[in-house]
Amino acid sequence: MTPLADPVVDWSAVLEVIWSSLLGGIGVTAAFSLGILGASRVFVHRREGNVAVAGAYGLLMALAFVAVGAAVVFGIVVMTSK
Amino acid sequence: MDNDLILIIVVVTALAFDFTNGFHDTANVVATSISTRAMGPRIAVTYAAILNFVGAFLSLEVAATIAKGIVDADLVTPLIVFGGLIGAISWNLITWYFGLPSSSSHALIGGVVGATFVAQGPEGVLGEGLIGKVAVPALVAPTLAFVVAGLAILLIYRIVGRLRPGSVTRGFKAGQIVSGGLLALAHGTNDAQKTMGVITLALIANGNLSGDAETPFWVVVSAATAIALGTYMGGWRIIKTMGSRIIKMDAAQGFAAQGSGAAVILASTHGGFPLSTTHTISGAVMGAGAAKRLSAVRWGVAGNIVVAWVLTLPAAALIGAGTYGITRFFGTGAAGPLVVSLLILLAAAAVFVRRVQRGSPITAVGG
Repeated sequence: MTPLADPVVDWSAVLEVIWSSLLGGIGVTAAFSLGILGASRVFVHRREGNVAVAGAYGLLMALAFVAVGAAVVFGIVVMTSK
Repeated sequence: MDNDLILIIVVVTALAFDFTNGFHDTANVVATSISTRAMGPRIAVTYAAILNFVGAFLSLEVAATIAKGIVDADLVTPLIVFGGLIGAISWNLITWYFGLPSSSSHALIGGVVGATFVAQGPEGVLGEGLIGKVAVPALVAPTLAFVVAGLAILLIYRIVGRLRPGSVTRGFKAGQIVSGGLLALAHGTNDAQKTMGVITLALIANGNLSGDAETPFWVVVSAATAIALGTYMGGWRIIKTMGSRIIKMDAAQGFAAQGSGAAVILASTHGGFPLSTTHTISGAVMGAGAAKRLSAVRWGVAGNIVVAWVLTLPAAALIGAGTYGITRFFGTGAAGPLVVSLLILLAAAAVFVRRVQRGSPITAVGG
């Protein structure tokens, strides 16, 4: 039996690039936006004395920016390990 | 002696290509940041240049050997490499003159393909490699970046749409500094590697290095320096096109374009399917504009850019083929490359003088 020749295009790599770009691109921009939303709302609610709500938005802000930071670190790791 | 002279010319030409690569591709990294005023022009190019320099040291895997899988590597000679480099430099300068972002990688591949075709005949060029490594990525990169940036900006507007514009703008401008930095690092890592690969191959071909030798440190430093200097000089004409002529963008769109572009480039690096930084960022800028309003994109400018992309490979191939033909007219020694280098320098000087005489060059201050 003759083995199949190498495909002209590595479609599995293309598919991986597509889904990871969608996940990374949309995920990071959404996380950063949630960080801005949290940062903006935390001050408003703190000023109005809604400590619990302000705390929740503070947590959202922290988690969102940590996620963005982790994505940046992952990006640098990808660059160094290729 | 003649071989050493050819080697020196190839190394200098490779560094000149690296410089034009940085100069030409500055726009990919800084155009959106400058356009949204996240950073001042001079600060933006200095920041990008430093991170380009650092990025060149992040990975020293010379995997991106010149036109690998696209031409028969065993048939490539220093004169072919020289022809390819001249083809790429010339196309980079032509597209810069017209303010059009185009892929420096595709220009280099085109130049080498043209020179190989003339030197070794059609059997030296691997057609399947051209489809798999040039044509398909050229379709995937801008389309994918367009879709990702478009979806990203729609989500961003949904999340922050009801917030006060001032704080949102400040937030996204800060985000652009991070995403732009990541792009500059990725650009330094990917693109300086091409020059390192070219110089290392030339050193191996000339017998100065063994086949399995690592890239010499001076090659890494000189390639990093050349791309960083080119970036610092700033290709302002292309920066103007990318930053304000395709769409008039706000900070959120700038962040969406840069963040999505960085994600696509890093995903392609991770997936082992290299995509052009220029195609990706241009597609992302168009996507971030079109998702807000289709008419926000100046489709005439976008069309010119796409035409430049289509022409890049054949045009660089023609110049590379012509360059190889001229050098061989003088034999296989160093006379040909010397004559061509002199002609290129004279042509570059003439273009520069013409621009100065016509006035109003696009600079950091004027642009």
